[in-house]
Amino acid sequence: MSRKMPKHLLLLGLAAILYSHAAAAKTPVIEIDIKDHLFHPSEIVIPADTKVKLIINNLDPTPEEFESYELNREKVISGSRKAVIFIGPLPPGEYPFFGEFHPKTAQGKVLVK
Amino acid sequence: MLLSSVVLVLQETLEAALLVSILLTISNQQWHKLSWLWFGLFGGLVMSFLYANFMVEISEWFDYVGQEIVNATLQILTTFLIAVCTWALFKSRQFDMPGEGRQNNRFISIFVVCATGAVALAITREGSEILIYLNGFLQQKEYFQTIVAGSSIGFSIGLSIGILIYYGLLNLPAKWRLGAPVILMALFAGNMLSQAAQQLTQADWIPSTRAIWDTSGWLSENSISGQSLYALLGYEATPSAAQLIAYIGGVVLVLALATVGHYSKHSHPATSQVTS
Repeated sequence: MSRKMPKHLLLLGLAAILYSHAAAAKTPVIEIDIKDHLFHPSEIVIPADTKVKLIINNLDPTPEEFESYELNREKVISGSRKAVIFIGPLPPGEYPFFGEFHPKTAQGKVLVK
Repeated sequence: MLLSSVVLVLQETLEAALLVSILLTISNQQWHKLSWLWFGLFGGLVMSFLYANFMVEISEWFDYVGQEIVNATLQILTTFLIAVCTWALFKSRQFDMPGEGRQNNRFISIFVVCATGAVALAITREGSEILIYLNGFLQQKEYFQTIVAGSSIGFSIGLSIGILIYYGLLNLPAKWRLGAPVILMALFAGNMLSQAAQQLTQADWIPSTRAIWDTSGWLSENSISGQSLYALLGYEATPSAAQLIAYIGGVVLVLALATVGHYSKHSHPATSQVTS
């Protein structure tokens, strides 16, 4: 019997993970594309005090780094790959972000309302 | 293009340069040991190449947050190694009798091994980002020369600042010669743990909260002084609670281990028969 204990614990752990995934499913998802070193759309609107999952599709063959001082976020996105970044909960306001590898063109902002 | 590459590479170089100058100051001042640095630099370079090379695969781990998890792991390990370095530094200083013990005890080896590891890990994170950046521009031939020039300038400035800090620390008045590098190590550890907390929040592995304060009006992270403070001490205009707790945790950990190393008794070769 005692040998079965870990199995029960494993099931419990699995249940916890599934539960947390179910909770995560409620997180709003917003997709942004990177094409020719530009963000599309370059402006997104999210609700205040809400966690949001950003999916960034880099359609360029070259890497980019998503960076925002205001959002406290920084992440390298390889060429032709996607990346996931969680942002928020945030108070209403404007939060600029940019592509650190092409900061002249790759500019965008998150509007929190 | 030129300016942005200078800024990017400078930012990445500063952090590692600061860590190297602090650890090298201590090892030179205490025991005149410098050669470990080459192993740290070499190890860091090799690991940067590996990390950059496998970045695509690593990024897809754990549901596309592998990069954050690996970075946080490297940062937590760096913090741990820095803390052990401080402990070993104070332990080794207990061998204060003249002759062999002062220059030759096992705590010096512990310090050197941990310092080598900490430098290698710091270079791994920052170096891989520079490599991915440069590699990306290999495909954009029209910019490549500019990017390489800008990166070299950024790297040289970072290196120069590191050398300045190193000689600055070496030439401090005697009463600050030990305290200043130890305080810098504590702040560096706080910065590392705070960055780890940020990465784990970004990955949604620790719950995100609103920023606990906003000092961007006073000192913006976009400004030169804000960016320098970020790279050197981990300044955040809008930190989360987790980041602040992690920062304090890193500082306290290093100072606590320094205290333990300073006051704890050890089995001294000369006194071991008495104490054991």
